[in-house]
Amino acid sequence: MNLFQTLALIAIAALFVLTLIAAVRGWATRRDALLWALLWLVAGVTIMWPGVTKVIANALGIGRGADLVLYCAVVVMMIGFLMVYVRLRRIRREMTLLVRELAIRDAISERKPPSDEAISHEATKEGHFDV
Amino acid sequence: MANGQTTECETLPDSARTATFVVIAAYNESTCIEQVVSEVRAEYPNVVVVDDGSTDGTFEAAKRSATHVLRHVINRGQGAALQTGIGFALSRGARVVVTFDADGQHRAEDIKAMIAPIWCGECEITLGSRFLGGTENIPASRRKMLRMAVLFTRIVNRVNVTDAHNGLRAFSDRAAREIDITLDRMAHATELIDQIRLSGLPFKEIPVQIRYTDYSLKKGQSSRNAIQIALHYLLGRVLR
Repeated sequence: MNLFQTLALIAIAALFVLTLIAAVRGWATRRDALLWALLWLVAGVTIMWPGVTKVIANALGIGRGADLVLYCAVVVMMIGFLMVYVRLRRIRREMTLLVRELAIRDAISERKPPSDEAISHEATKEGHFDV
Repeated sequence: MANGQTTECETLPDSARTATFVVIAAYNESTCIEQVVSEVRAEYPNVVVVDDGSTDGTFEAAKRSATHVLRHVINRGQGAALQTGIGFALSRGARVVVTFDADGQHRAEDIKAMIAPIWCGECEITLGSRFLGGTENIPASRRKMLRMAVLFTRIVNRVNVTDAHNGLRAFSDRAAREIDITLDRMAHATELIDQIRLSGLPFKEIPVQIRYTDYSLKKGQSSRNAIQIALHYLLGRVLR
């Protein structure tokens, strides 16, 4: 094993242990922890035996093992971006609903007396004056 | 869509005026909001201003003039502010909800023609169209951009309207309840057209005038923005 392999494997082993701890302590969901653990395992294997990627790459018609890793990384990142974007949209939507709820609550709690015409309309609508 | 005038609705009863809520979404419009609100309020007692997180005293200016002032603590965009105002108006028993721009581009006297067909049960929604009515000082570039927007609406939304992005609209309470604007920013105009089509509620275009002033042009959308808005809308449709 060369220096890079040693260092990378130590880092990956640490991350793997961290993932296990996270799963046990409930910091991450079981499913997320499993996905991460799988990722570390694959990374560990390809660092330990770089030839593995070449075999798979050749089987798929890709020249070099490193290219296969690069392509996979790009695809994973694209999926990641999309997921973050979808989540961002949901958070924005929730924020709007929250801001709306606040605006309507404030308007109800500190309303000033409406004009005469507005009162007469409300009176007919609600059947009483509530000012 | 027929654009013929109906004679039975020529005079609106006072009850129609008091049951109409005019919703104005305002973002940093302190210089003109009072003027716009007082013009509208001269005829319609229920004016709802939604201050969309302005930083320039729009809220205080609106408080001095409007019947109801709501405040978004964070800026959420015009679509979000309109939806807030519409929801509030409905909770107050509005029978007709009108949306009106805060920058003074609409004329308060056009509101009557917008609500009359709804009050008379002729349709549930009316949409203002600057291309059916007269328009003052419309710049050529703005005209071209709006024509593109109409074409976009025809192709993507499959609705035939002459002016897809007019801020002057009116809804019956029933229609207002069906509308739920989820696109917070400017793409809401196109989303709205979609919802109108899907709801199947009868709508009608009403000729209105737009006053193009230096102020309203500055606050309006640039052509570059238009492409952004279109993309925002299309993404919104894919990622529902």
